[in-house]
Amino acid sequence: MTTVQVVKDILDANERIARENRRLFDEKNIYVFNLMSSPGAGKTTLVERTIEALRDRFRMAVIEGDIQDTCDADRVARHGIPVVQINTGGACHIDGNMVRDALPALDLDNVDLLICENVGNLVCPAEFRIGENVKIMLLSTPEGSDKPAKYPLMFQESAALILNKIDLLPYVDFDMAKARKDALTLNPKLEIFPVSCKTGEGFDAWARWIERQVEEFRKS
Amino acid sequence: MHELSLVQSLLDIIEEYRDGGKFRKVNTVRLSFGRLGGIEPAALRFAFDVASRGMPAEGAALEFDILPVIVSCLDCGRDSTVDGFTSQCPLCGGDVLVTGGNEELRFLEMDVD
Ligand SMILES: Nc1nc2c(ncn2[C@@H]2O[C@H](COP(=O)(O)OP(=O)(O)OP(=O)(O)O)[C@@H](O)[C@H]2O)c(=O)[nH]1
Ligand SMILES: [Mg+2]
Ligand SMILES: [Zn+2]
Ligand SMILES: [Zn+2]
Repeated sequence: MTTVQVVKDILDANERIARENRRLFDEKNIYVFNLMSSPGAGKTTLVERTIEALRDRFRMAVIEGDIQDTCDADRVARHGIPVVQINTGGACHIDGNMVRDALPALDLDNVDLLICENVGNLVCPAEFRIGENVKIMLLSTPEGSDKPAKYPLMFQESAALILNKIDLLPYVDFDMAKARKDALTLNPKLEIFPVSCKTGEGFDAWARWIERQVEEFRKS
Repeated sequence: MHELSLVQSLLDIIEEYRDGGKFRKVNTVRLSFGRLGGIEPAALRFAFDVASRGMPAEGAALEFDILPVIVSCLDCGRDSTVDGFTSQCPLCGGDVLVTGGNEELRFLEMDVD
């Protein structure tokens, strides 16, 4: 019997494709964010509001990673923004390959900001890079403030955390201080934005932040 | 949740190393990952048993080197190894940063015949 040394990341193949996507985005000067949350936390609602907030600033496009139907893509399309639906075929996340396959459907020469809505899932989207500049995580108050402790990787991989549905704070047990503290314990650089995508409260801080990220990227 | 695709990548790497028949059979596969990485050994083992049927890796044992969670204290400056997520230093009760335990799934080595 012999031992074969391998020492290779299992997700190496995905990393390679993600890097190729990244090279293409750099060439076209496109800022990309990968939006992750559990099902129903408000990803599509945030995408719709972000489009409205930034539509005079950037040319945007959206990739929707829904497991099945095209509801979310239809919601986005109503804002008059190019949108591609990825057929994840029941997969629990989107990966580099799926994004690469979706790109020919977009006119990348006319996009400044590409938003990718991941599949609703708090576990694996964090593991798969797609060529994004940043991962953005959304956590909604009804889900509870124990999520950083239970799903640490998401918080570690994200550049910003949007705490959504703060309009529901009076009705749910959500310990804002604990959520913040635990999230920062995992990732001290995390930017945290408490917002309500329903009332618009706090939304402007998020919109200005992402606007600045895109501007800085496009200048460099 | 996507154990089958992880296992598929693992089997692809094994095929790559076999390079047309340098070994007949894989006896043991050793993997590592951080305890906070959200990987479930039992689910991985099940997916591996299913996906490796009829391949040189069929029946191979999976061994996991699970890397610990490490927290670094912002108050006393010491590092501690802990069983799971905590935001408190076990030594002094101070605030900590999590500095280890999120390593992704790695294929370390395999024993072959
Ligand atoms: N009260 C309240 N409801 C919200 C808020 N944001 C979104 N919602 C509602 O939450 C529900 C789910 O929102 P979506 O935007 O579809 O959530 P999602 O994360 O895209 O869901 P999936 O794509 O299915 O994972 C909808 O009924 C939204 O109207 C908010 O800030 N406050
Ligand atoms: Mg959605
Ligand atoms: Zn997955
Ligand atoms: Zn301490």
